[in-house]
Amino acid sequence: MENLILCMAHALTSWLVSLGLSPWWADLILLTLQWTTIVMIITFNVLILIWLERKVAGFMQERLGPNRLGPFGLFQTIADTLKLLTKEDIIPARADKWIFMTAPMFFIIVAVLLYAVIPMGKDMAVVDLNVGLFYFISVGSLSTICILMAGWGSNNKWSLLGAMRSVAQMISYEIPLAFSLLGVVMIAGSLNLSAIVAAQHKLWFIILQPIAFVTYFIAATAELNRGPFDMPEAEQELTAGAYTEYTGMRWALFFLAEYTNLVAVSALASTLFLGGWLGPWLPSWIWIIIKTYMVMLIFMWLKWTFPRIRMDHLMSFSWKVLIPISLINIIITGAGIQFLRGMGW
Amino acid sequence: MFGKGLLEGLGITLKHAFEKDKTIQYPEERPYLQDRFRGCLAFDFPKCIACGLCTKACPNNVLSFETIKEEGAKKKKVQSYTIDLQYCLFCNLCVEVCPTNTLYFTHDFELSTYSRQDIKIVYHRPPELDLVVEGKEDESPGVKVELPDNSEAEAKRLKQIEAIKTVLGKNPQKSLSKILTSETDIAIMSALLSTDDKKLSKLAELLIDDRDKASKLAQAWVNKDKKDHSKEGCEQG
Repeated sequence: MENLILCMAHALTSWLVSLGLSPWWADLILLTLQWTTIVMIITFNVLILIWLERKVAGFMQERLGPNRLGPFGLFQTIADTLKLLTKEDIIPARADKWIFMTAPMFFIIVAVLLYAVIPMGKDMAVVDLNVGLFYFISVGSLSTICILMAGWGSNNKWSLLGAMRSVAQMISYEIPLAFSLLGVVMIAGSLNLSAIVAAQHKLWFIILQPIAFVTYFIAATAELNRGPFDMPEAEQELTAGAYTEYTGMRWALFFLAEYTNLVAVSALASTLFLGGWLGPWLPSWIWIIIKTYMVMLIFMWLKWTFPRIRMDHLMSFSWKVLIPISLINIIITGAGIQFLRGMGW
Repeated sequence: MFGKGLLEGLGITLKHAFEKDKTIQYPEERPYLQDRFRGCLAFDFPKCIACGLCTKACPNNVLSFETIKEEGAKKKKVQSYTIDLQYCLFCNLCVEVCPTNTLYFTHDFELSTYSRQDIKIVYHRPPELDLVVEGKEDESPGVKVELPDNSEAEAKRLKQIEAIKTVLGKNPQKSLSKILTSETDIAIMSALLSTDDKKLSKLAELLIDDRDKASKLAQAWVNKDKKDHSKEGCEQG
């Protein structure tokens, strides 16, 4: 079980080589297959996630959630997707056409790019990058540009306001997000995500870095534009924020990308703080799925509990609370490491 | 502690997430309705005395009815009664004002129809009402009649029997006074009839065909009953 997927990959490469392909081509085909698999998993995952979110929200409000189509309403999202696919694709007459049309595509591409470095099991990162965490943070912040593209291209005041809020939020929360991860990096001594997971085989970093975990969690919620920090798409004020003018499949792509980002951020949280694929009995790739889903459930729990925070509170919370706390956390961590080294650990 | 409120909120949602859901899956599950739930307004035709209080009480002119007055009769009869439910605001005023409890609310709340005409509920005078009161004025009238496919005369006779049976069941004193003399006998007879269906139908048949026989039979039953009771009394004594 443990090496099931790895063995499949090896078998495929050796079969391709035995067919007379050069190893370079075999690797290329394997890489393409890996990406296809990731995209398929993401799409399938989003179908489940939307259903799960609606179910969780329903249960918290003592409703049933979707329960008509398929077992426990599991196929509801499929029906919704089909509906979105058949909808008219409207492009506003005064919109900046190219920016408007390409924004959702870039958004989903950026979201999928995040998965390149996440180790989905032992030795199961698509690219085992030695600056993986750095890559994740930098690519992750690109999604804001796509939201800004959508907001600007729509030529609509709600869209632009939503996009600008999103940018302001991202700039403010990127800093505590990166700072909170620095503590982990300092302890692990590496930016490689697989190495960070390996460093947790004795003790998960959530125990060593609880403050960093909480800071990361809050900043990630804001980065994902999820409630209670969903100011960019606050429907009571901005209709749907940057997505107001989008219809049909373009809108669905934004939705897909948002949930994809949610999975990526949750996977990163479980990789950095919850021991990633480490765990007894079960194969590693099942462990990371379990942990990621647990983190996502917490994200949903938060979203359906807290009311939306005000924009100025959001800003001051980041600059006056989160950034000082994460800075202090870095100092304490550094001091602790130096102290323990001095003690001869 | 700072952030205690946030944790409390999380606790509340978590608690509710595992509680039983309040949703009723409507077409399959039916909601529980209280006794005094005001569903569709309904009309119990035989009880109506055509007083017109309901139409006066109604604020929206939902209710209307037609009456006829037969020659020689003292009272008007309701011919048809219309409830135009689309204007009804379910205020309960007509139900409160009705002296004979003719109007009442049912528990039927699925009132939508495909066309405007279907919303109106029209009650027509049931034909068996007129049959019951033949020759009598103050009978409490009968309800349902099953019509077998016999000849007309036979059908009419059966109808009459049926009507008298209901009359006997509902108001025995009055009809029994025509065949029995003493009040104690009438009381015993009515008690007997309420328990024994066979006797009831037999007596009803005889009442139509031959009143003398009916009175004899009734007297005989009453005497037998008296005897039984006195026997029981002796044994107990």
